[in-house]
Amino acid sequence: MRLEEVIDEAPGIRTLKLAFQDEAAGENFSFKAGQFGLYSVFGEGECTFCIASPPTRKGYIECSFQEVGRVTNALRQLEVGDTLGFRGPYGNWFPLDEMKGKNIIFVGMGIGLAPVRCVIWNCLDLRADFSDITIIVGSRNVDLLPYKPELKQWEEMSDVNLVKTVDPGGETPDWDGKVGFVPTVVEQLAPSPDNAVVIICGPPIGIKFTLVSLEKLGFSPDQVYTTLENKMKCGLGKCGRCNVGNVYVCKDGPVFTAAQIRALPQEF
Amino acid sequence: MIEELRQKARELLEKGEVDLVIGYGEGSDPTRTMPVFIRRPEDCDRLVWNKYCYNNLTSYLTWPELKTAGKPAVVCKGCDAKAVVVLCKESQINREDVVVIGMSCEGVGEPLLGKCEFCDVRTPKNCDIVIGPEIEPLSKEKQYEDVEQLEGKDAADRWEFWRDQFSRCIKCYACRQACPLCYCTQCIVERNQPQWVPTSSHPKGNFAWNIMRAMHLAGRCIGCGECERVCPSNIPLMLANKKLAQVVKEQFGYESGYDIDEPLPMASFMPEDSDELFK
Amino acid sequence: MAEFKLNRDKLGELVKALKGEGYRVVAPVEQERTFVFEEVDDPGEIRLDVLRTKRSIKGWFFPRVEPTLSYEFDGQSVTCKSDLPESPPKTVIIGCRPCDAASLPMLDKLFDWDYRDEYWFKRREATTVISVACDAPDSYCFCTSVGGAPDGTAGADLVMKKTSSGDYLLEPATEKGTAIVEAAKSALDPATGNEEILVGEVPQRFDLGAVKPWLDDNFDHEYWKEISYKCLSCGVCAFVCPTCHCFDIQDESTLERGVRLKSWDSCCLPIFTRHGSGHNPRSTRDTRYRQRVMHKFTYYVDKFGVTACVGCGRCSAACPIDMNICTVVAGAAKLAETST
Repeated sequence: MRLEEVIDEAPGIRTLKLAFQDEAAGENFSFKAGQFGLYSVFGEGECTFCIASPPTRKGYIECSFQEVGRVTNALRQLEVGDTLGFRGPYGNWFPLDEMKGKNIIFVGMGIGLAPVRCVIWNCLDLRADFSDITIIVGSRNVDLLPYKPELKQWEEMSDVNLVKTVDPGGETPDWDGKVGFVPTVVEQLAPSPDNAVVIICGPPIGIKFTLVSLEKLGFSPDQVYTTLENKMKCGLGKCGRCNVGNVYVCKDGPVFTAAQIRALPQEF
Repeated sequence: MIEELRQKARELLEKGEVDLVIGYGEGSDPTRTMPVFIRRPEDCDRLVWNKYCYNNLTSYLTWPELKTAGKPAVVCKGCDAKAVVVLCKESQINREDVVVIGMSCEGVGEPLLGKCEFCDVRTPKNCDIVIGPEIEPLSKEKQYEDVEQLEGKDAADRWEFWRDQFSRCIKCYACRQACPLCYCTQCIVERNQPQWVPTSSHPKGNFAWNIMRAMHLAGRCIGCGECERVCPSNIPLMLANKKLAQVVKEQFGYESGYDIDEPLPMASFMPEDSDELFK
Repeated sequence: MAEFKLNRDKLGELVKALKGEGYRVVAPVEQERTFVFEEVDDPGEIRLDVLRTKRSIKGWFFPRVEPTLSYEFDGQSVTCKSDLPESPPKTVIIGCRPCDAASLPMLDKLFDWDYRDEYWFKRREATTVISVACDAPDSYCFCTSVGGAPDGTAGADLVMKKTSSGDYLLEPATEKGTAIVEAAKSALDPATGNEEILVGEVPQRFDLGAVKPWLDDNFDHEYWKEISYKCLSCGVCAFVCPTCHCFDIQDESTLERGVRLKSWDSCCLPIFTRHGSGHNPRSTRDTRYRQRVMHKFTYYVDKFGVTACVGCGRCSAACPIDMNICTVVAGAAKLAETST
């Protein structure tokens, strides 16, 4: 893949837009929202990220990541025109076909917004297929909110309800969103569980508490979908690293319902 | 001696002087023992003592999980007890936070392990309690004979010897895990920015790992030999460790594990230190 | 039924015949006071009498380090080439035990799950496995508790059974096995049918049927903390095990070129599951050891229908602190009994 564009979303969070060096491969490439790939920096290693751009847009893919280790730091050093490796798509996907006609509530916390963003655009590109769309975005502070230009776009859409929040203490004087932890904001917003589906991603503890809030509102764990970002190396169900309970996150996931996650040993 | 050990362990637990006794228990066959962790006085009958008590139980003293288990007593052979001295000197444990039960020992293994032939701590030193009779120390005069034998070969032969030995390393890290002095919370092989030591078990990775570990133990290794015993490829790790111990002895007059007050050779500088090593 | 037998003094001829047909011969040999499977030149080195080698035969199908692809840098561009071995050499592994052989079809299931691992299967196709039935199992053996047998045929192409005269009867189990018998005919003698076959007994040590349900229901049981307290997290068990298959992928490179390597790893090692962020879902020894047992005795069963343990006892024999997996599982079976 060729690195086409680098977008600095927030301190420590970067998005890379990648184009296929082999155009035919690019044309034939397709995936479904929720799937992931393994991106390599040759010489440093591979890293697993969801494909953050929607499958409805062809010719390129995007990944968003936080710089935490060897490969992500190497990704940070890359410049436009550099060559990266990509293999995928792997894993399962959000069953959007089953969600047609429903109200979709997206909840993205911090870098967890990346996989959710893919599904958001997928749904927005097929807007007529879905009923109400609510997007709840939260982060520790204003700076750390990813995809700021896109948040603006979603805010301006008349058929999308965007709610953005930062943790208490993370607001700036000109902040026009809410202040509060995502689970609290979800409870305040009180979306109805009728004919609704929740797609959520974020740090494990964020997901845990938001699930509690959703259940208080009457959502059943089968209505809530999330993507598990376990440590994955091969992506093919062979190396054993992502095995949790009797599932391999790279093959049986990374998309799971909250009910499926509850049934797993809590080791992720 | 077994009865005395069990009795002592019982007393320590009953009086609340320790919360945990780390000792040897029956193994899964007659030629093995396994580490046991006893918290109740009535379980002290599980403790055994025989020539299959190989493990160096002091390795457990630095495990994070054990640090919340309360004050331990640890059953040690003379060689094992030396590790406690080094751990204290390196500020990993406080001497008063552990009770060392030394067992006088005529050697372990059948046939006797190599290290036992030159043992001068058959009556363990630096222990809080010693169980068993006084046993005369053996002479250490010939302890470096195997090192000297290898030294006698020329560089090309020695290189070939080690290349061959390390080629069998499978990077299982049993040597590191069994060693009481390999207690780094993040081992150098686990650091990947940069990847100082390749993780894969190819010749370059193996050489780097084994040599680096030996170097990190220079002046610290107490010669318990656990690394060599646990190695699934039977690599003569003690040969490398002993070579470095010999160098430290010659250069700094220091032998690891004996004197709790002596400064660590690799962590201190004395004006009279020779600078031969830096030439 | 065995048509042929190998006279105990004709092992050398057998090896010569196989080599003559172009086979590479791998067998248990002594290496630095332990026994491992190595390529053999001198048949005199072969030790068919060794019950348990230190490491298993898996290294001949799944090497401990293997390049998957290599690449070269040229400014901003990179050229890659696959390092998948085109045609591994024709190989015969002779002298493994039925438990070792049984590990192969068991691992085939994982390596064929959706994505076919050609690194594994190319070597599987090129290799013929001749196992030797066990006439003298020891206290670490527990093949019969996990669906195996001292004279089992799973995974083996040809089974050699020792007779009271010291000769071996040869029983082909697959076409490959029959082909090997053909290839080696010059070294073999016809079986008389009156040979007394020696096969040892391995008593059942636990009821596997009781184990899985207990494991499924007792994830948080105190048992895991108790038994794993002495574990050193060293990784020896996984590395000597014939069925453990976890691996790591690492890049090693210079400024000009590099290679992506696949190498053995173990779920028992401390940083196996550590995320880049530092979060480690299995940061303690009890969680890791539990994962090992669970993966082998229940998760793998759920996924592939077979227990990922062949009862060879290598892990127990090699473990520095005598962690005996048979005892651990038998302990779980006992708890299952007492809880019903």
